[in-house]
Amino acid sequence: MRKLFLYLLVPLLALLAACDLEKDIDVELPNHEPQLVVECYLEQGKYIRASVLESSGYFEDPAPPMVPDAEVYITTPAGKRIELKYKPVIVKSTGRFYTHTSTEILSGQPGQTYQLEVVDGKGRRVTGFTKIQPRVPIEEVEWKFNDEEEAYLLTSFQDDANTANYYRYMTHIDSLSGGSDRDFVTSDDLTNGKRVSLGSSYKYREGDTLIVTLYHIEKQYYDFLASISDAKSANGNPFAQPSQINSSVEGGFGIFTNLAYDRKSVVITK
Amino acid sequence: MRNYHTTLLFLFLLVSLPAWAQRQVVQGYVRAASNNEALIGATISAPEAGLGTITNEEGFYTLSLPRGEHSLQATYVGYTTATRSISVAGSGQSINFILEPASNELQVVEIQASSLRQKLNDTRMSVETLTSREAKLLPALFGEVDLLKTLQLKPGVQSSGEGTSGLYVRGGGPDQNLVLLDDALIYNPSHLFGFFSVFNPDAVKSVELYKGGFPAQFGGRLSSVVDVKMNRGNNERVRSTGGLGLISSRLTVDGPIVKDKLNFSVSGRRTYVDIFTRQINRLKEGDDDFSPIPDYYFYDLNGNLTYTLGENDELSLSGYYGRDFFGFNDSDFSFGFDWGNTMGSLRWRHKFNDNLYATTSLTSTGYKYNINNKIDIFSFKLTSQVQDYTFKTDFDWFLGDGHSLKLGAQATHHGFTVGRLNFESSDSTLNFGAGSTYSGLEFGLYASDDFVLSPMLSFNYGLRLSGFNSGGKTYAAPEPRASVKYTLNEHTSLKASYASMMQYVHLLTNSGASLPTDIWYPSNEGVKPQRSQQAAVGVSHLFGKGRYLVTNEVYYKWMHNQIDFRDGANLFVNDSLENEFLFGRGESYGNELYLEKVSGKTTGWLGYTLSWTYRTFDGINNGRRFPARYDRRHDISLVLMHQLNKRLSLTTAFVYGTGSAYSVPVARFAFQDVEGKEPSIVPIYEDRNAYRLAAYHRLDLGAVLKLRPRWGEADLTFSVYNVYNRRNPYFVYFEQQKDRNDEQTILGFQAKQVSLFPFIPSVTYNFRF
Repeated sequence: MRKLFLYLLVPLLALLAACDLEKDIDVELPNHEPQLVVECYLEQGKYIRASVLESSGYFEDPAPPMVPDAEVYITTPAGKRIELKYKPVIVKSTGRFYTHTSTEILSGQPGQTYQLEVVDGKGRRVTGFTKIQPRVPIEEVEWKFNDEEEAYLLTSFQDDANTANYYRYMTHIDSLSGGSDRDFVTSDDLTNGKRVSLGSSYKYREGDTLIVTLYHIEKQYYDFLASISDAKSANGNPFAQPSQINSSVEGGFGIFTNLAYDRKSVVITK
Repeated sequence: MRNYHTTLLFLFLLVSLPAWAQRQVVQGYVRAASNNEALIGATISAPEAGLGTITNEEGFYTLSLPRGEHSLQATYVGYTTATRSISVAGSGQSINFILEPASNELQVVEIQASSLRQKLNDTRMSVETLTSREAKLLPALFGEVDLLKTLQLKPGVQSSGEGTSGLYVRGGGPDQNLVLLDDALIYNPSHLFGFFSVFNPDAVKSVELYKGGFPAQFGGRLSSVVDVKMNRGNNERVRSTGGLGLISSRLTVDGPIVKDKLNFSVSGRRTYVDIFTRQINRLKEGDDDFSPIPDYYFYDLNGNLTYTLGENDELSLSGYYGRDFFGFNDSDFSFGFDWGNTMGSLRWRHKFNDNLYATTSLTSTGYKYNINNKIDIFSFKLTSQVQDYTFKTDFDWFLGDGHSLKLGAQATHHGFTVGRLNFESSDSTLNFGAGSTYSGLEFGLYASDDFVLSPMLSFNYGLRLSGFNSGGKTYAAPEPRASVKYTLNEHTSLKASYASMMQYVHLLTNSGASLPTDIWYPSNEGVKPQRSQQAAVGVSHLFGKGRYLVTNEVYYKWMHNQIDFRDGANLFVNDSLENEFLFGRGESYGNELYLEKVSGKTTGWLGYTLSWTYRTFDGINNGRRFPARYDRRHDISLVLMHQLNKRLSLTTAFVYGTGSAYSVPVARFAFQDVEGKEPSIVPIYEDRNAYRLAAYHRLDLGAVLKLRPRWGEADLTFSVYNVYNRRNPYFVYFEQQKDRNDEQTILGFQAKQVSLFPFIPSVTYNFRF
């Protein structure tokens, strides 16, 4: 919504565009004590892997600092403590980067809780929990064309009335690489127990291949993603308030969650 | 030791009392000879007795004088002074004045000088007065004269950012200002994010700003009272006033309908940037690289109708209607966004006898915004609204013996519609809605006494009882108010004041600017009313043969139950808004120095404010105190007006302020996200408002050239905003510097500062016939 106001300012700013109203300045920032940044997504049938990096002062070297002495442990619902080894790797097929990996494959049941612990040589300790989410199936993906040969997309699913649910909806064109076409999070506050339809504007053409993904996410992941988005938009929007990062882990920044999703691929036809 | 001093002071007061004890009330009206219009704020003084007062809204005054011979003077800017010799004996008497327009500049000058003496002797403190006439002389952004922005040039009053009209008074927010237009509340006094105020300078006569020492008749907001009075129709003939400017034009017509009985005044104003942008869009039609410029305009209408029923009764009807409109239309996409205030007020003034007056009013006021969005078959509508109905009655009762009482009562019904949303598609595949409505009843009951104990010592003390009921929860609170003035000598007076204020309706805003989508919300079970207390002391000194007045005030303000929001709060379409609130406290303190000169060819003022403003909330900044965004250590404003000759006057305004407190991210981390997403940089914010933007300073120049049209009067007003093209900071952000070859690799980060208004010249043509 706040972006709308920036948009509203456009006619005014357009008038003043001739003048150079933006300039580089030097900003002196207070010293930042680096903190651990953890990203660990558990996914059914996949290797358990994580990335552990560090935060850095805004104007420091852009490459994220690595933490080779970090030790990462995942504790399963059965109490098994799995150690993830420090072995930085980029998975070519997905482009994902991990610092810590294991050969264990996740097989959890919805409702079970996994635990994360990260410790390093500086005595920093990050912990977190995640509860395996049930998958919510995509019931229908449909599209409609207008007179200008453009189609909009409508994705429908059934919300469970008995639980508070949070979703992340994503679409990709042609393949999963190169970034998402649409990506947003939503809760069932306004749609509890209903059949929910998520739409788009008229932007697709005949022959487009669309990959639609519906994640059924935890509240802590929803809050984290929302705070990430708020923090990003606060940098550069004069109307926004600064926002703290709502991490799902304690003792640092980051997210420890599980990904339960349904994915459908469709080709737009007339 | 302290007791000794108090006793001495008390004895001194007693000594001065006997001569004072034998007094009688003198009262009457001050009117203009040309049209019989009541002159509001005219000064009535008995110089030998060192006593004086000013006329009220009916042009009526009352003055308690010792028995004996007096020379009584009535003065008003732009009119000749009238003097009457009177003898005050056994009973009260009525003395009316009819003032003639001043024929030369010197007379105007003398009268203005006497207004400084009046200010010195006034019991009230922390009050700033501005007339539309003064504001029109000063340079203005895009040539748009704006009374609220001119008030920002007074000490203790700040703006939130470049070019905006929101008032931040002594550390309070713009939602804590009681903005009254002819006694009716205006919820959102700004157009276009606060760049312009809703007050058309032709429709407005004057504005009084109370920064502290609030009289008991005002209540409902914490930090200030902005009391705007509309122009009434003159009684002589139908006349027109107007202006053609760069971005807007305005026209006012006023005059009698039935002479001496019924008169009217109607004003309108509209911007016309949209007319040009539509032309540009039309010319560029078919150009694929051109994205059409959306439509934007605002307009406002003011009206007043006054009916004199007889010697003792007068009815007046005032109204305001204003809208901002923003729209965009495409073949399958349309977007409309409109917002504005609507106000109507019917007032009845009745005179029971020479000592007792009553004003009773019925008012309806509201603020509303609508957003309509349509994409092919999908439509989205969002509305928020606040609508008030108020009954109010006020009595002015002159008791004699130096006492003037004010008594009154007020009842308001508030209706709130918060985020009413409707989302649907015409094929019925989608349909959902949200939104809440609330109502509230607000009461106020007050009594106050203006008590002139002696020519040296006067008091104003009063009590307001306020209450609010909403959702089954009732709040009530006493709000004591007091001020005292002690005249040390002919040139110097000391003043002190205390005021406690309550605020029962709250503006929900989590942005630094005044956005049209900010929502008003009532106090209820979970949301306690806001409360403030303010104490101030001051000294005023008249020097340079009465041509200069210097005033220094020190204030301290405490604010409780202040409202803010948890990080990432969603105020937009949220049925459980209360989960997003945080409650905290605020404090502000400072010193305001003000030097003014109102007579001679060169007039103007210099203000310097040294202040501190903080907020403390449990959920923000880890519970530690942080500076408010508008915390400004130093604030200087200099305004000079010089009458070069009868046709040309030159004006200048210079402002300097410490940079705003701002939050910048201190650190960052890289966020990979899940498969299918590109990695990104996430900023980390630590201490709230810990960074200071660069200092704000700006010089404006203006000139008013009187023309010699064949009939009527006309002038050209020239303005140059930001003469030396200072790039004042509007906001700061950090940008990623990417490798130009692959547009992927991040090479580093750079801080950028964005400014808003560069050097802007403008010209406005004004006429009156």
